[in-house]
Amino acid sequence: MSTVKINGKEVTVKDGTLILDAARDAGFEIPTFCYQADLMGVGSCRMCLVEIEGQKKLQPSCITPVLHGMSIHTETPTVMSARASMLEFLLANHALDCPVCDKGGECELQDMVYKYGPHKGRHAEPKFKFQEKDYVLSPVIIKNSNRCVQCMKCVRVCGEVVGANVLGALGRGDHQEETSFLRSFLDCDQDGNCIEVCPVGCFMRLPYRYKTRPWDLKGKDTVCPYCATGCRMVIEERDGIVIRAKAQLGVGLNSETLCARGRFGFDFINSPERLTKPLVKRFGTLEPASWEEALGVIKDNFIAAGKNIGGIASARLTDEELYLFQKLFRSMLGSPNIDSSARWAPEAVEGFIKATGMDEGGASAFDCMESDTVLITGTHLSDENPVTDYIVRRISAGRAMNLVIASPRAMKLDSSASQIVRHNAAAEGHLLDAVTLSVYGGNVDKLRDVPGINRIKDARQDDLAGKAGCSADDIKAIARKLTGEGSVGLFAGTEFLRYPGSIPGLALLKNALKALGKKVTIIPVLDRANQRGAWEMGVHPGFGPGYSPVKERGMGCADMLEAASSGELQALYVVQSDIVAMHPDENFVRGALSGLKFLVVQDCFMSETARLANVVLPASSFAEKDGILTNQEGRAQIIRKLLPPPVKAKRDIDIIRAVGETFDRSFGPKNPVLVLDEIRKEVGMYGEVSLAFNNKRNVDNKLDLKEALVKPAGLAEGLNASGLETKLEPKTDEHPFLLATGNHLFHSGRLSRKSPTLIGLLKNAIVEISAEDASALGLMNGDKVRIKGRYYEAYATLHTRSGSKGGVAFIAENYDDVPVNRFFRRGEGVPRVSITKA
Amino acid sequence: MSGKERLNIFELIKKVVFTDFVKGLSITLGYNVRGSMTLKYPDQEKWIPYKRFRGLHTLNRDENGRELCVACELCSKACPTQCITVIPMEDDTGRGISDRVAKVWKVDLVRCLFCGYCEDACPTRAVRLGRDYELACSDSSCNLKQREELLVPQSVPESFEGGVVAASTFEASPAGLRVKADLTKTKKRPW
Amino acid sequence: MFSDKAKEEIQQVLKKYPNRRSGVMDVLRIAQRERGGHLVKEDMEEIARILGMQTVEVNASAAFYTMYNVEKPVGKYHIQVCRNISCLLLGAENLIKHMERELNIRVGETTPDKKFTLSTVECLGSCGTAPMMQINDDYYENLTAEKIDKILKDLK
Repeated sequence: MSTVKINGKEVTVKDGTLILDAARDAGFEIPTFCYQADLMGVGSCRMCLVEIEGQKKLQPSCITPVLHGMSIHTETPTVMSARASMLEFLLANHALDCPVCDKGGECELQDMVYKYGPHKGRHAEPKFKFQEKDYVLSPVIIKNSNRCVQCMKCVRVCGEVVGANVLGALGRGDHQEETSFLRSFLDCDQDGNCIEVCPVGCFMRLPYRYKTRPWDLKGKDTVCPYCATGCRMVIEERDGIVIRAKAQLGVGLNSETLCARGRFGFDFINSPERLTKPLVKRFGTLEPASWEEALGVIKDNFIAAGKNIGGIASARLTDEELYLFQKLFRSMLGSPNIDSSARWAPEAVEGFIKATGMDEGGASAFDCMESDTVLITGTHLSDENPVTDYIVRRISAGRAMNLVIASPRAMKLDSSASQIVRHNAAAEGHLLDAVTLSVYGGNVDKLRDVPGINRIKDARQDDLAGKAGCSADDIKAIARKLTGEGSVGLFAGTEFLRYPGSIPGLALLKNALKALGKKVTIIPVLDRANQRGAWEMGVHPGFGPGYSPVKERGMGCADMLEAASSGELQALYVVQSDIVAMHPDENFVRGALSGLKFLVVQDCFMSETARLANVVLPASSFAEKDGILTNQEGRAQIIRKLLPPPVKAKRDIDIIRAVGETFDRSFGPKNPVLVLDEIRKEVGMYGEVSLAFNNKRNVDNKLDLKEALVKPAGLAEGLNASGLETKLEPKTDEHPFLLATGNHLFHSGRLSRKSPTLIGLLKNAIVEISAEDASALGLMNGDKVRIKGRYYEAYATLHTRSGSKGGVAFIAENYDDVPVNRFFRRGEGVPRVSITKA
Repeated sequence: MSGKERLNIFELIKKVVFTDFVKGLSITLGYNVRGSMTLKYPDQEKWIPYKRFRGLHTLNRDENGRELCVACELCSKACPTQCITVIPMEDDTGRGISDRVAKVWKVDLVRCLFCGYCEDACPTRAVRLGRDYELACSDSSCNLKQREELLVPQSVPESFEGGVVAASTFEASPAGLRVKADLTKTKKRPW
Repeated sequence: MFSDKAKEEIQQVLKKYPNRRSGVMDVLRIAQRERGGHLVKEDMEEIARILGMQTVEVNASAAFYTMYNVEKPVGKYHIQVCRNISCLLLGAENLIKHMERELNIRVGETTPDKKFTLSTVECLGSCGTAPMMQINDDYYENLTAEKIDKILKDLK
């Protein structure tokens, strides 16, 4: 600890604290441009100069650590005049086109000059200009270098946080320009973090260009609706049009960062394709109807269906809506058949919940990153959950730790890893089994009684490694890292749900490490905003709210479709889920849905599923409702309503309640707040969850609010995790590639396809294979290729990725032109495909 | 006593010769020969206000005909009654002096105080309060002035000194009433 | 793209550095010489590939130093005249004006026959022999107008 005097006030801070942080904690304001706590300090802007007694020259406080006994002055006339002079220099070449600049009104340079500035300049020389006109740097970024203050934040955030490293500082001195390689068009993650950190109007959003002024915008706090990382952001509207989404420094676990989806994908809210009126099928066509009529039709048909009714709700709804949805089915309609995912088997979900310990309460990703060894498996983190990727990169760069990444596909995060393992696709289970076996080899005594160890203890290491497709040395190295000093963190992704046969491997590894007395933190990495919330609200056939056991086990999505095609299930209520596009085997779904007597679809858009419906109800997007979302860590976060639902559309909670009210007027609770009260009462996990916003400043990377994490459920006996297996089509010479799927970096499910900006980033389907496979086939990056499976063939653009494991073709689940689920056939396992030049 | 009587005699004489009456008549007579103080508005004369006058808003162009307005919205921010709405857009075809131009620039004259804050706020001197003051109409349609109308040069150019009475003609047509001033035929104000 | 000889040289040079990335300056120098005095996009892309860097990092390294001419072709003889204080005091300004007249170009320009490029640079570390200039890799010191005339004539 060091004791220093700041402006005469004595403060004691940790050794090595920056003067800037010490002064700000002590309540003194120091202006900065280039300082940001989670980026490497550069001390380039010189706004933070302070006077230290005994030192003749002013010192930059953002890179100078305190020393015991220092006496620091932050507000002397010398310091104030230095600040004014710095600003005068910055303005010497600054374009001063504030009336035109999009940043005008929220510009840090404006604020600073207003507060500290000289208010008149003495530089009469003509200003240096980089270029006359703004230039487009990418489909979402437009650049005006004349306004640059050379703080280098954009370059640093691009390299240190995003890891894309596509921005650099060209030139030097006042002619230094932060831009791309030779100012060329950027082919990067398009996440716009450079825009967010830019203190002036140098990097600007292209979709937001010249639309408004910041003071015209009305904003509301919300959570990104795409993946389950749960990034806090603010969406802002003008005249009913959502214009901008932005993240705030020091708020939420993402602080100022977002990915392309979050930052630019909000514009589906104002899409002209939104459904605005209830539609009822009359003589084979959907026609506009009134709410009374639509609800009347629903009531009649639900009564006719009796208990043979099922419900599927999207994992993007709020916790309140999902809770009410399961309540509608379980206690009003008397049917146990509900599910929250069209993609995953209920048993796999239960196995995954158990294996990742979701029922043991929330775990913060920051705690997980505090571990000495972190293993990332079963997820393409950089594409699926980009902001989790940023957190991992930033923290792993700042401390000594082992970061092991096991994935068939190469990813951006690989550069931060201390060990990279490329295993076969769908072989996560074999890999983890091999690791566990290696751990078991050295600790037989301690691990003898671990449940499930018998499954592998007689297996041969080489067999398992061979099945996983990696070398025994790699596996030993992972095992050594996991059993070494300190705690273990695991990021386990959706591949486990896609290939359920891998789940026992995950569970076994966790149990083995726990039996060795290690602290194991597991973060499930999920790809829908409220997937975890949907499960915790009991929208699952096998368990109720808070993972409580259910009296009668219902049917999951696949079983319901099966029952529908056999005529057993008569009615289905689908909320914001596009099963036709998402469930493996599209033809089977279409057949099953057409076998239904009655299908209600409640959605924002006319989805493929909605086209088959008897009644379509116009629902609302995340910007039009209040509620809470539970992210993958189990952190409950509030979203706030910014806009009313368009025209006659309603909030999902109101629709679900209205459907319930047609049976019983007292069905409720009647509004989200009351539903939350009931959740708090009924679901122990949510009883004490704090919903206070996390508005702490980002001083020492403490961005997580532990009180927002859900509590342990303590009753997971009900989880039935049996019969987990992964089925793969046998490998043939005709179809050499195993088809992997997931989300593309720019898309999430089919929702993001309605966002014009995201469509502008990636419209048509791409198929990704490893660069080695491509060159063996004589194919080049960007070629048009034909993808042929046993049941479907399609054309897409080839994207090669060097460093990926061979034998995997990746097609994201997001494309309308290549619906990846058409390659699948029910009951036949993960398909294999061939790729040839078109 | 005698003084008081004398006074009464003077009063009496005044009454006899109608002094007050003549005084009054002489003032009225004076007006008759001094010429008219009122304007023959609208059909013959019209008052052209001074430069400092704050009338209807006008949006100006530069010497090349490009719009000066850059849609910075400072006028609408400065407006105490929030009567100005500006929506910007991008247009680099040379319509404006910068590539940021106004898609919408409208002012609600019912709310407007004619305080001139918008003029003061404007960084490009695009918005000026001009000298058109005939803002009345028989329905409320004319209360909202759009950019297109305001871009049309006003009847009194900014360089014109003002503070004079100009010859005018009154035109009544189905489109509305108009008082057209001829700025070449002016005279000093009569008062 | 690079000749085999240059590739060989690059490999030799890289042996000096424990980290390949550190060799960027040397490799850029070789690339610039190969190209004949300047660097183009393809060179920097190639260097990025060889060194395992991002293209923009190579670009930033090259753009920082005035000795690299990024996308700015120079003539066969690149005349760099020092205009720092010692040379300036001893008349570098007059020499620059003289050369502008002789070559009929302005500072920063190249003669139409692509032979000479005239530019001014900061101190070249030869203040003892000021005024001085550098043509390609050679120093010419203690300059006078006559001396310059002779040098230029020889080069022409």
